[in-house]
Amino acid sequence: MIPVVEANELTKTFDSHIAVDHLNFKVEEGEVFGLLGPNGAGKTTTIRMLACLISPSEGSAKVSGHKIDENPIAVRQTVGILTENPSLYERLTAQENMDFFAEAYNLSEPQEKAIRIRELLEFFDLWERRNDKVATFSKGMKQKLAIARALVHKPPILFLDEPTAGLDPESAKEVRDLMETLSQREKHTILLCTHHLEDAERLCKRVMIINKGKSVVVGTPDELRDRIAGKPKIQINLKKLDQKIAEAAKRVSHVEQVDVDKSASKLTIVLDDISSGTPEVVKSIVDAGGLILSVYTIRPSLEEAYLKMVKEKR
Amino acid sequence: MRIEKAMLVFKKDWREIRRNWQVILPILLVPLIISVFLPVILGLIPSFAVGQGSSLTGFETLIENLPSHVQEQLAGMTENQVMIYVMAVYFFAPFFLIIPLMASSVISSDSFAGEKERKTIEALLATPISDGELFFGKMLVSFIPSMIVTIVSFAVYTAVFDITAYGLFNGMLLLPTIDWILLIFGLAPTVALASIGLTVMISAKVKGFREAQQISVILLIPVLALVFGQVTGAIIFGPLVILALIGLFGFIDFAVFRAAVKLFKREEILTKLA
Repeated sequence: MIPVVEANELTKTFDSHIAVDHLNFKVEEGEVFGLLGPNGAGKTTTIRMLACLISPSEGSAKVSGHKIDENPIAVRQTVGILTENPSLYERLTAQENMDFFAEAYNLSEPQEKAIRIRELLEFFDLWERRNDKVATFSKGMKQKLAIARALVHKPPILFLDEPTAGLDPESAKEVRDLMETLSQREKHTILLCTHHLEDAERLCKRVMIINKGKSVVVGTPDELRDRIAGKPKIQINLKKLDQKIAEAAKRVSHVEQVDVDKSASKLTIVLDDISSGTPEVVKSIVDAGGLILSVYTIRPSLEEAYLKMVKEKR
Repeated sequence: MRIEKAMLVFKKDWREIRRNWQVILPILLVPLIISVFLPVILGLIPSFAVGQGSSLTGFETLIENLPSHVQEQLAGMTENQVMIYVMAVYFFAPFFLIIPLMASSVISSDSFAGEKERKTIEALLATPISDGELFFGKMLVSFIPSMIVTIVSFAVYTAVFDITAYGLFNGMLLLPTIDWILLIFGLAPTVALASIGLTVMISAKVKGFREAQQISVILLIPVLALVFGQVTGAIIFGPLVILALIGLFGFIDFAVFRAAVKLFKREEILTKLA
């Protein structure tokens, strides 16, 4: 795959404060890549450098093959950006906001512009309100309009900075659903900055956790979970648990450890290979006369992985 | 530089401004009141001057410094006619240099500082509009309305004055003169552009609108100096002086624009968000 965003030793210093410290990462075409980190971790500064809004103190980056320090206008034309604030003109209507940004991004042909704006406003369920001033919109509607604005010139790359921040759960879910549809339907490469792990878990193919400007870890959400979870575990709930059933489970070759909770009729089993071990364990329990109510894999959430990794680096 | 991009910024800002009556009213009302009020006062002078002795007290220096061809014109006039003529044609002329500055000051102070305050600046800076296009667009939105207001004020002033003074000067129309035309269509725009350029530059550098407006008041000082120079008779705005000033301010406009674009730093604007 071709990397469309490539950061090499990207660093930003404000006076003596290092906001971003030698970041290295690549985002492949069509990938949704998450930048995860607590407030002040350097996520917004990273996005601002990649969008040519601020210049790096050290290092370099390429966006769509353009070096950020050599061709900022070409980089800006290639990306759509959702900034921390919706950055919408509240005295203008939704349509006027979209018109302005469409033309600013060189989508000037009237018919093409009108079709694109209508398509986006309908997609974001804002078409009926197109002639209303943005000042009358709810926070969720403003956020949807800001995402629509970022997409108006059909950019191949999207930088989304905290797209669900400050939204009520319903609006946040709506925006998350829209982003999922966007990444699947329009195949944008998305760099998503967030501290909402739910967003990252649901949308990102890979995530990079950053803390105090430094990269802590890069990987898929599953890889990050596995990294802290150690060996895979399964939990089996039975109608009734006795010693004979527990012994039968221990005898299976893939089993490394069995924790028995008789009061809850529950076995927690550590396996060396989850796909081969699970059916064998289930068979041995059934053969020993156990009545299984449920079997499921225990995996830590991305949140647990994130908190552990951020804590370790403090 | 793509002019259409600058015009795009102009159109967007103008749409916002025209919906804000708190900004529009002072821009429109103050100059229009001045342009009606001043000639009406002039028209009333003869009735106030009756029995007051010489009405030329205080104007001697100004009259003495007028070019010889103007003094020849004044030769056959009564004292009231001389005073009204001098006030209308020379004394009030530099006030029309202040009108575009007053009219533009609110808009130009708001140009970048207002966008910072309203948190709309980041998305604007993220567009592929170049620094020069952005800066020029922000200048246009101050320049075009302020010049329209100035020209309309001048037209109103001319019409009201000519109507009120019609009888006193036996049907002679005194305005516009060549000096006024040069002043309104040559000097006022160049002075306004210099002031607007500097104010927009200040607006990009400071955190908020009020700070920008307070600093931009300083820019009125050189123009006020021209006004007082004319009032005291130290400078007379004859055609040559006006043409020289147009040249000087044209050069200043160019230098200010070049410097402003060079000093325009998107990063500095973002790090100074209110």
